[in-house]
Amino acid sequence: MHQSIIWPAWLAGSGIGLLMVAFFWITGKQLGVSRAYGNFIALISKNPFFQQPDYVSNSWRIWFIVGIVIGGFIAAMIAHPGELVLNFDMGDAYNAILPTDLTLRMVVLFFGGVIMGVGARLAGGCTSGHVISGIPMMNGSSVLSGMLFFVGGIITMQFITRVLISS
Amino acid sequence: MKNIIYLVLGTVFGLLLSLAGATTFDYYVKLFLFQNMQLTRVIGSAVLVGVVGIWLMKRVQARAVMTGAKIIFDKKSAPKTLVFGSLLFGAGWAVTGSCPGSAPAMLGEGKLIILPVLLGVFVGTYAYGWIQNKLGSCGS
Repeated sequence: MHQSIIWPAWLAGSGIGLLMVAFFWITGKQLGVSRAYGNFIALISKNPFFQQPDYVSNSWRIWFIVGIVIGGFIAAMIAHPGELVLNFDMGDAYNAILPTDLTLRMVVLFFGGVIMGVGARLAGGCTSGHVISGIPMMNGSSVLSGMLFFVGGIITMQFITRVLISS
Repeated sequence: MKNIIYLVLGTVFGLLLSLAGATTFDYYVKLFLFQNMQLTRVIGSAVLVGVVGIWLMKRVQARAVMTGAKIIFDKKSAPKTLVFGSLLFGAGWAVTGSCPGSAPAMLGEGKLIILPVLLGVFVGTYAYGWIQNKLGSCGS
């Protein structure tokens, strides 16, 4: 597995905080990502839910998420200039807890993605909208949601490692 | 032009997520097992800087550069499903080692194993909308 460049946590975290503030200041909007998936769906689905103004307009979300892909690409280019390494690796930690069979692993990841997608909508936001921007706005529901994200993650990971793997 | 601004902001966000380790699967397992504090510290410092930044913007009654309008710090009202949805999201966060923001950055890095996760997020988002539509709560 190729090495990535990882900044000290405080530096990268401060950068993310600054970007959220800059995003607010430049655009006047709250930074968020998960709703963008609905904007993509609105491009192809006739379902009335996705034909609501929130998903039909606000195409900025699509541009923002495409930018995130480019940002990841640039990070990879800085780490290994001129060479984009395409792979299906997840690294040691997930190799130890997810199925080793690639097809089975992809099925598990797919359902992980499904509950993340449903969960974000039921919660009204994801790690970006609730944690990175919602908590600094002193939004009570974001504080609660952010804490419960961690609770859900910790319970799930403890369950996987203590019950599923060890049995 | 406006779209390019969002594209650039997204690019910086994706780059920072990658540099933060938010696109490195290992950190997620270690986060939820309390073995490594990288992502906890990243989130903590992002929130701290965010608190100061939002406070300052409120204080100077900042206007949005793109529109000139005074920035409104709308507080989202909590959906009734917030608790259940948040726990469900957390479970997906742990299983996939990614989140809706970091997954697209992983794709850009060439981590193709994120494709089923992205597909899942689309399907999950669609399922939510489909059910909402069936329940007839559109527009509410």
